[in-house]
Amino acid sequence: MSGSTRKIATAFALATTALLTSAAAQAQGTLVLYCSVQEEWCRPMASAFEKETGIKVSMTRKSSGETYAQIKAEASNPRGDVWWGGTGDPHLQAAEEGLTEAYESPKMAELHDWAVRQWKGSQGRTIGIYAGALGFGFNTKQVQSRGIPEPKCWSDLINAKLKDEVQVADPNSSGTSYTMLATLVQLMGEDKAFDYLKALHRNINQYTKSGAAPAKATSLGETTVGITFMHDMVTMVVNGGPVKVVAPCEGTGYEIGSMSIVKGARNLDNAKKFYDWALTPAAQKLAEEAKSYQVPSNKNVVPPPQSPKLADVKLIDYDFAKYGSSAERKRLLSKWDNEVKKLPK
Amino acid sequence: MRPSTRLLFLLALCGFGLLPWYFTEGMGLRSLGWLSGYPFGKGGSGLALGLSGAAPWLLPGGAMLLVAGLAWPKQDEQRAATVLLWAGAIGFTLFFLQGFAITLRGQGIPWLAALFGASGAAQAGMGPGALVTIVGLLLLFCHGLAYRGFCRGDVFTCSMIGLLVLMIGLFIFFPVVTVLKGALIGSAGTIDFGAFLDRFLDSSIWGLGCLTRDVSCGVAWNTLLLAVLCGAITTLLGLASALLILRTGMPAKWLLRALTVLPIITPPFVIGLALILIFGRTGLVSNFMYEWFDVPRTRWIYGLPGVLLAQVLAFAPIAFLVLIGVVQGIAPSLEEASQTLGARRWETFSTVTWPLLRPGIANAFLIGFVESMADFGNPLVLGGNFEVLSTKIFFAVVGAAHNEGQAAVLAMVLLAFTLGAFWLQQRWLGKKSYTTLTGKGDAGLPTPLPRRVSWLASATVIPWVILTVVIYIIILTGGFVKSMGRDYTPTLEHFLTGFRIDFSRGLYFEGAAWDSFFTTVKLAAISAPLTAIVGLLAAYLLKRQTFQGRAALEFSTMLSFAIPGTVLGVAYILAFNVPPIEMTGTGLILVIAFIFRNMPVGVRSGIAGLSQIDKSLDEASATLSARSATTLWRVVLPLLRPALVAALVYSFVRAMTAVSAVIFLVSAEYNLATAYIVGRVEAGEFGLAIAYSSVLIVVMALGIAIIQLGVGERKLGRRTTETAASPAMAGA
Amino acid sequence: MMQKAGPASVEFRNVTKRYGSVTAVNDISFTIEAGSLVTLLGPSGCGKTTTLRMIAGLEMASEGQILIGGKDVTRLSAADRDVSMVFQSYALFPHMTVLENVAYGPTVKRVPKAQAHDMAREKLAVVGMKGYEDRLPSELSGGQQQRVAVARALVLEPQVLLFDEPLSNLDAKLRRRMREEIRDLQRKLNLTVAYVTHDQEEALAVSDRIIVMSNAVIAQEGAPRQLYEEPADVFVADFIGDANLVEAEIVSVTGDRAEIRLGPVTLSLPSRGMKPGKAKMAIRPESLLIVEAGGPNLLPGTIRKCAYLGNHLDLEIATEAGDFYVTRHGTREIMPEGQMVSLAFADYGVTLVPGG
Repeated sequence: MSGSTRKIATAFALATTALLTSAAAQAQGTLVLYCSVQEEWCRPMASAFEKETGIKVSMTRKSSGETYAQIKAEASNPRGDVWWGGTGDPHLQAAEEGLTEAYESPKMAELHDWAVRQWKGSQGRTIGIYAGALGFGFNTKQVQSRGIPEPKCWSDLINAKLKDEVQVADPNSSGTSYTMLATLVQLMGEDKAFDYLKALHRNINQYTKSGAAPAKATSLGETTVGITFMHDMVTMVVNGGPVKVVAPCEGTGYEIGSMSIVKGARNLDNAKKFYDWALTPAAQKLAEEAKSYQVPSNKNVVPPPQSPKLADVKLIDYDFAKYGSSAERKRLLSKWDNEVKKLPK
Repeated sequence: MRPSTRLLFLLALCGFGLLPWYFTEGMGLRSLGWLSGYPFGKGGSGLALGLSGAAPWLLPGGAMLLVAGLAWPKQDEQRAATVLLWAGAIGFTLFFLQGFAITLRGQGIPWLAALFGASGAAQAGMGPGALVTIVGLLLLFCHGLAYRGFCRGDVFTCSMIGLLVLMIGLFIFFPVVTVLKGALIGSAGTIDFGAFLDRFLDSSIWGLGCLTRDVSCGVAWNTLLLAVLCGAITTLLGLASALLILRTGMPAKWLLRALTVLPIITPPFVIGLALILIFGRTGLVSNFMYEWFDVPRTRWIYGLPGVLLAQVLAFAPIAFLVLIGVVQGIAPSLEEASQTLGARRWETFSTVTWPLLRPGIANAFLIGFVESMADFGNPLVLGGNFEVLSTKIFFAVVGAAHNEGQAAVLAMVLLAFTLGAFWLQQRWLGKKSYTTLTGKGDAGLPTPLPRRVSWLASATVIPWVILTVVIYIIILTGGFVKSMGRDYTPTLEHFLTGFRIDFSRGLYFEGAAWDSFFTTVKLAAISAPLTAIVGLLAAYLLKRQTFQGRAALEFSTMLSFAIPGTVLGVAYILAFNVPPIEMTGTGLILVIAFIFRNMPVGVRSGIAGLSQIDKSLDEASATLSARSATTLWRVVLPLLRPALVAALVYSFVRAMTAVSAVIFLVSAEYNLATAYIVGRVEAGEFGLAIAYSSVLIVVMALGIAIIQLGVGERKLGRRTTETAASPAMAGA
Repeated sequence: MMQKAGPASVEFRNVTKRYGSVTAVNDISFTIEAGSLVTLLGPSGCGKTTTLRMIAGLEMASEGQILIGGKDVTRLSAADRDVSMVFQSYALFPHMTVLENVAYGPTVKRVPKAQAHDMAREKLAVVGMKGYEDRLPSELSGGQQQRVAVARALVLEPQVLLFDEPLSNLDAKLRRRMREEIRDLQRKLNLTVAYVTHDQEEALAVSDRIIVMSNAVIAQEGAPRQLYEEPADVFVADFIGDANLVEAEIVSVTGDRAEIRLGPVTLSLPSRGMKPGKAKMAIRPESLLIVEAGGPNLLPGTIRKCAYLGNHLDLEIATEAGDFYVTRHGTREIMPEGQMVSLAFADYGVTLVPGG
């Protein structure tokens, strides 16, 4: 071996050792948290729990879809302990595939019914931590300049005057949009719902990839109407956007932000500690500080004043078990693909 | 046996006998708890664990290492070679087989494990000892080959080819095959060709509806169209700028140079965001056009035009970097020859300069094409209803549909396109010689551009420069105002959120962005030189050495480039989450992902550079008793400086700005800047996102400056216009 | 300090080189004596450059054995052989000065820099390039670059020095001067030199021995004079110098002499092992003498063309035995077309060619 080979080998070995040294320093008393809400909410959750218990939290923030994909990929050798936050469907899917662990928390009694229903529907593998109703928002300036009445109902969105003015995510890529699809099917019946979606298709300017993207676009005036979870729109209002949030008059569905323990978690005890703690009022209050306006699942937490009041929203009795199952999801999505998305504009 | 082989043998022996065989958690030099019980226990050596009965399946491979030692005293190299070849190959294979056969409990390959006498046994991932031993055995095998006269008897070349093949096999082929297997797996979890065909022939991929009706075309066609346009336009812009800078007396060249570099050091999303703020429906330009000329606001930016614009802005500089080296390398005497043969400037350009530019152009186009195919950020932000493969793959994996089979099929389509482009490029270049840097000194003067060409070049470059300037004004001011597009109150709030430093308790990095910032810089700084080394080394081996399977190797170096980042990320998790190679959650996996994802740029620019350097320079060095390592260092590398700069800059920048490939690989400890920025964009905090991006831009600009200074320019002793005119040179 | 090994012999034993299905060199054997200059001569593609590169170690033999100084080097890399090479393109490193170029070999061998520079200066002086040390190759003329390339190859005082068409990029005058210089240098420094060229004049001028190659094999090996006067076959006869190749008939063979009939002429030549019957004959253009018509044993002919070339005349003469190319020295009289002449045969430069 010549001189340079040796140099390269040495450099490589050094780099390797340096990296390995700093990697995977998992001593006792740690927790690997997969967090699927926005960063500003994840960080305080992790540090508050660290402060409370002294357990060192390693937090990774990723969208719920990414986290699901990661947990699935890591299934044979799990790295994560708790998966906290993110819309309920991927949590349910993970539960269905046995990627997560059943657990019964002593805090169960303090929770709203919808949160417990999520737990029961998944054989105890995932639990509700917050809820957010589906709705839409509109840009007040755009609506004024167009001289149309403020939309109040789902049916207002198929108004011909809103041609190319409505934005919603693609249900294939976004849980938000899939929630809309399932909601409409439950609200109107499948045939009518698809007729509605076909009519809506004419008004859609773009099926975005991310579920919350229409909220931003509405706030910036890139679209007049955006269909998202109401709390995403509220964030835009709080940030000063000319946006008005609407709970559709016909009624609407909702998501249950969930939490699961990863099957085969290396720090199972700490995972359970976090699980219990995350259901306490103290932990759930952190949402408001992080400008997240979902409705917390603990009954004892007063929802933030800006939150859409679930009581004022006409909520449907959303069948999470049925519409969260992968068979039904695949069927609806491929039907939507074939009957709606392929239509000419 | 030669001394170098003996040294290698001793190293491999240490690897087996002394170094900890496995990779254990908590391994590190700060606390040595994991070493308890050494040489047995978790941190034990392969030899000790094998003999003590903890891992007896390690012994056969170890025995082969000892067999290789039999060659030590042999004077006759051919007989030593026989021993090295057999012992190296068998030992290497044995270690590999046991690694894959015996992994976690209930996994691996049971029947093979049984052959090793290890039914039901489990072992951890391979560690430093295994690395040194296995690589050692491989290299002993390569030395044997060199003794046999392979690679013209050069031990270094043979070893490097062996290492390259091993690395490409492990870090490109293995993960890719792991993930592509998914395309064949049906809903029942078994191999199902019917399901594969259904997915593959789906009209959402190949549909041609856009030609006849008002629906969108298949995602494959969209991607292809976008990539061809992007490749062509970026190449054109890159060429125009290179010609303007090198061949005209254009004023303010430095400005053009700086501007061509800026877009590559800009994190993805940012150009897209800026484009929305300028051309979006409520953007600056749209507002202006609406209020002054009553041009209705439209959403044209969302879709093909917007994505193309953003990609051209982002990738044209790469084309520029490739082409400037090529234009520089064209020997002026060739052009002078043409002129003396009575050709006018234009004829000279079209018959001599242009054909010599072809390898550069082919490479630049290929890079633009492939970059566009693999680009994820821009289609995500600006795609609108214009779907491309990379985003579709991403959402097939992480979206609500969770369809990994579809993702794998789409990845195959993407791969086929990229490889097709590669093949076409090879066809187009053919076997002509493009050598222009020969051992004969060349004292010619570069021909000035014909007027037609310089006008054309200016006409292409100037609008691009203006747009780039505007975009950077937006990016720079965006971080300092409350909310771009709505509220222009100046503020430092965004920078404070991200980068506040608290001096009250000593130096404390309080801002939210510091963690990801430091990690990113550290990983980028580690991976950039490694990427450049591996890339240029591969280019040298591919271009300058002849060996069996050279074409296949060249092809596979392009493979990782062709694979969309998202797929590579998932592939790495699937492949490297379990023994024998277990490294998810470490920084190492990020570094390796960076190296093998960005290596193709080093390879391409290295090959383009080498094809201009006369091969007899290498050979002259070899006959002056320099081994290939020395030749590489003292002759090839100094002449390859432009390629080296391109490789270093590019891999550094790519590591700083990568998103899709690493989004699955980041962990709590190793979070990256871009992942953080994406989060900010998702949360609608454009201010912080833009502020962070501008910090990254500054850091990358510094990094590039350091690389340029550190590597320096190559001196070829060509006269420049000025010196040639001076009396001192006129006398020479 | 480096050991001066002195010149060494080169031996090829049944060496074959294949690239895939193409055989570039087919089973050749030869020996280059230590201290001699041997030329590998042949048309392009005959395998001569491949042979040279196999001596250097830039190509590896597919079969057979290569020995330098009696040591088997078949599988040794170029760097491990004590051989230097001057390339057709000179292959000077464009980023190094003349001095750095020449000192490259010693510095690679870890000779201290100052000493390496001294060695380089010494060799530069030998090739007459003193004073150009700090120039870059691009600032030198073709001939100067050539000298630097030679100095660089000499600096390690290799056992064997190889030249690959070193003069092909130079003009005719310079070429003649440089080949003399190379020959002088070889003699003065007592070097073993293998020299590849396709120029037979160059080969005849500089070589101790010439190896003529054709289609991957050795056509003939020998001293320049031997090749010229006793070509082994039609190819060599035609390639070395100019030759009129004609069909003749061997009437009888007595001992080592043969009686030959060419048209009306009867000649006695060395038989070279040939049997009576049809045979090929090579006649050098200067061996056909134009004489007055009518003498005995002469070949009558008609002048077709006559060209004035300064020191000699080129003529084309038609005879019943075929057309002949004839050169005529020592006269400046142009002969008119159509003139009848007779051709006599000189006692040199007329030979039978075996294997016709």
